[in-house]
Amino acid sequence: MRQFFSFVIKETKHILRDRRTMLILFGMPVVLMTLFGFAITNDVRNVRTVVVTSQIDHLTRQAVDRLAVSEYFVITATVPTPREAERMIRNQQADLAIVFANDFASKKSGLQFIVDAADPNMSQQWTNYATQVITNPSSSVVNVRMLYNPGMKSAYNFVPAIMGMLLMLICAMMTSISIVREKEKGTMEMLLVSPVKPLVIIIAKVVPYMMLAIVILVTILLMARFVLDVPLAGSLVWIVVVSVIYIVLALSLGLLISNIATSQLMALLLSAMVLLMPIVMLSGMLFPIESMPTVLQWVSAVIPPRYYIAAMRKLMIMGVGIDGVLREVAILTGMTALLLVVALAKFKNRLE
Amino acid sequence: MNAIEVNGVGKNYGKVQALSDVTFAVRQGEVFGLIGPDGAGKTSMFRILCTLLKPDSGTASVLGHDVVSQYKAVRRKVGYMPGRFSLYDDLTVRENLEFFATLFGTTVGQGYDFIKAIYSQIERFDNRKAGALSGGMKQKLALSCALVHQPEVLFLDEPTTGVDPVSRKELWEMLGSLKERGITIVAATPYLDEVRRCERVAFLDHGQVQGIDTPEAILERFAHVFNPPPVSHEQGGALAGDNVIEVEHLVKAFGTFHAVDDISFTVRRGEIFGFLGANGAGKTTAMRILTGLSQPTSGRGKVAGFDVGTEYEQIKRHIGYMSQRFSLYEDLTIAENIRLFAGIYGVPADVIERKTDDLLARLQFADHKHDLVGSLPLGWKQKLAFSVSIFHDPGVVFLDEPTGGVDPATRRQFWELIYEAAERGITVFVTTHYMDEAEYCDRISIMVDGKISAMGSPQELKRQYGMPDIDHVFTYLARQAARSSD
Repeated sequence: MRQFFSFVIKETKHILRDRRTMLILFGMPVVLMTLFGFAITNDVRNVRTVVVTSQIDHLTRQAVDRLAVSEYFVITATVPTPREAERMIRNQQADLAIVFANDFASKKSGLQFIVDAADPNMSQQWTNYATQVITNPSSSVVNVRMLYNPGMKSAYNFVPAIMGMLLMLICAMMTSISIVREKEKGTMEMLLVSPVKPLVIIIAKVVPYMMLAIVILVTILLMARFVLDVPLAGSLVWIVVVSVIYIVLALSLGLLISNIATSQLMALLLSAMVLLMPIVMLSGMLFPIESMPTVLQWVSAVIPPRYYIAAMRKLMIMGVGIDGVLREVAILTGMTALLLVVALAKFKNRLE
Repeated sequence: MNAIEVNGVGKNYGKVQALSDVTFAVRQGEVFGLIGPDGAGKTSMFRILCTLLKPDSGTASVLGHDVVSQYKAVRRKVGYMPGRFSLYDDLTVRENLEFFATLFGTTVGQGYDFIKAIYSQIERFDNRKAGALSGGMKQKLALSCALVHQPEVLFLDEPTTGVDPVSRKELWEMLGSLKERGITIVAATPYLDEVRRCERVAFLDHGQVQGIDTPEAILERFAHVFNPPPVSHEQGGALAGDNVIEVEHLVKAFGTFHAVDDISFTVRRGEIFGFLGANGAGKTTAMRILTGLSQPTSGRGKVAGFDVGTEYEQIKRHIGYMSQRFSLYEDLTIAENIRLFAGIYGVPADVIERKTDDLLARLQFADHKHDLVGSLPLGWKQKLAFSVSIFHDPGVVFLDEPTGGVDPATRRQFWELIYEAAERGITVFVTTHYMDEAEYCDRISIMVDGKISAMGSPQELKRQYGMPDIDHVFTYLARQAARSSD
């Protein structure tokens, strides 16, 4: 036990004395959260809108006013013909044109959107928003209610995603690098020659990084709650429990990488490239899994962050109980157990 | 009673055979040497004995425990010091020691008496990070770490590579006191004076034991490897008055610490100048100034006619440089390396082509022109690195410990190349920890505490100090150092 603690202390000192790495480790979550929260956003805001109408009647006036007062749209011009509106979009003076038919007031229909669809997702959203705003709620046929995220804030969506990405990156990358560094420096030889059991070496290596990951988790959660106003609707205990399972999984992956990698650079590339790309592309973080081709859906099925992000969205945003995410948690636990066993079994007692 | 028994051990890495049918035994309490050229299989042998590697064939036992089946028992009783000092650079001296003590289930307090003789020398640097220690200090700390759990057998894999002669002598004095406590010691070393301190040595070459006997017998039997006839060299090629390097009152200070403290000397064209000094005496700093990498704090220096303070870009263009640490790109072929470095120095392509073939023919490397440098033995790499460093016919070439870690025969071949270069009029400025190489130089200087405390031809110095060889002169001077070697 004494050996174990002195190991953990030594490892902690390595982490604490490497100031620059520490700065990056703690800076990354803060910067990412701030960026996604304030700068990079999918939210509809200040869309430059052209209104096309030949005669302004009462109902059209009302609709235009509703658009103008909403924070989503800014009316930049009113033009008589659709052709002119299209010209403005082509000249990049506007993003969206709303064409009211001449008999809009009497028929309560006859609406056309001309949209700059260079970004298909955003254009989809603009039209949805515009429809929502223009259609008089009282007379609308369809009544849309947004559950869980009535303000449609993208922070609700990306906070779980960032957690999934960062925890995986930090745990897998840092563990693998710290083990490979010992191999490179030759200190691993000394550790192996000592009577300490390899299992103790591994666990002691991993514990400090687990602590670090938990500190980062708390940082993210605090920032999400108090800076980005994301509600932590579900039980905090379960959020943490599921996160810890995920952290252990990421650490096991790091151990596996350290078995394969022979240099720190290789460990870095393996964990950054091989882990990061699939996480970002296929975990449902950015692109919905449901709209992927079937083959990619299969691939995404084995990517652990997918389940973690899904579980976190449900727990944090929807506020469901643990019974609502049992499937995700079960899959994560299974994956963790498998990876951990393989990583421990593969850890070498000797040199090659 | 034998502490170590090795029977028919073989080990392959893929197709490369590192060890084949190695058999020897080491008696309890013996100091046993494992010697042989680079790549002979010494490190593999150590790793097998330390249970870090499994032998492919044969058996080995340490203190009666089989290294494969009873590796746990072996690990409890051996101390191992790998060639590279396996210390944690970002932990302090004390933290390193405490960590390794706990690792082996003991405490620094319990092992203190055992390591006192060694550890007391570095104890005052307790709170310094291991990464900031000099080579000699690191070596002492690494040895303390390997000994703190009071092992019965100690394995040392070339523990003195890159360490100055005084620190080396101190290390072997410590090993002597360990022997008195009954510890069995197996050590590998490329230094002949260290080989002579062993009771018996095994000479390993190409993975096979060529002979086991007393050091004298082995050195006698394999004299062609260990004690090659000295290279003959006509002195006097150097022209008086034609100075390639002129240094006057050169000082380099880091804060209040004067790494180089007012040195003055000149080196003539075509001369081989040996620049000696213990670790930390200021050699590297002085060499950096002369090669234009660092600015002097005060004083003047001229290299190949250019001022070190202002014309350092010119200097870089007119000198050659080779260091032990960096020689060539391992993932390029021989021809590619030559083309790259010659190109950097602006040698025209057709000249490169012609000279490359000449050079490879002379080195007898012609068949290996397109081999990766990484696949060559260390001695070849060094010869090649030297040839590349003088490929552009510089006025002076700086060699920073060019022959670390190779056997005497290979070093001798290397010196033949140096003599060839000197005869072509290239001035050679060389640092080394091998005192036999110092004797090959036309003139040497010995630096102590940032100052040059002796300078002259090897014969002059020996006469002046009344010592039989340069090794004694060096040791005598270096022991007067007031400043700790760090």
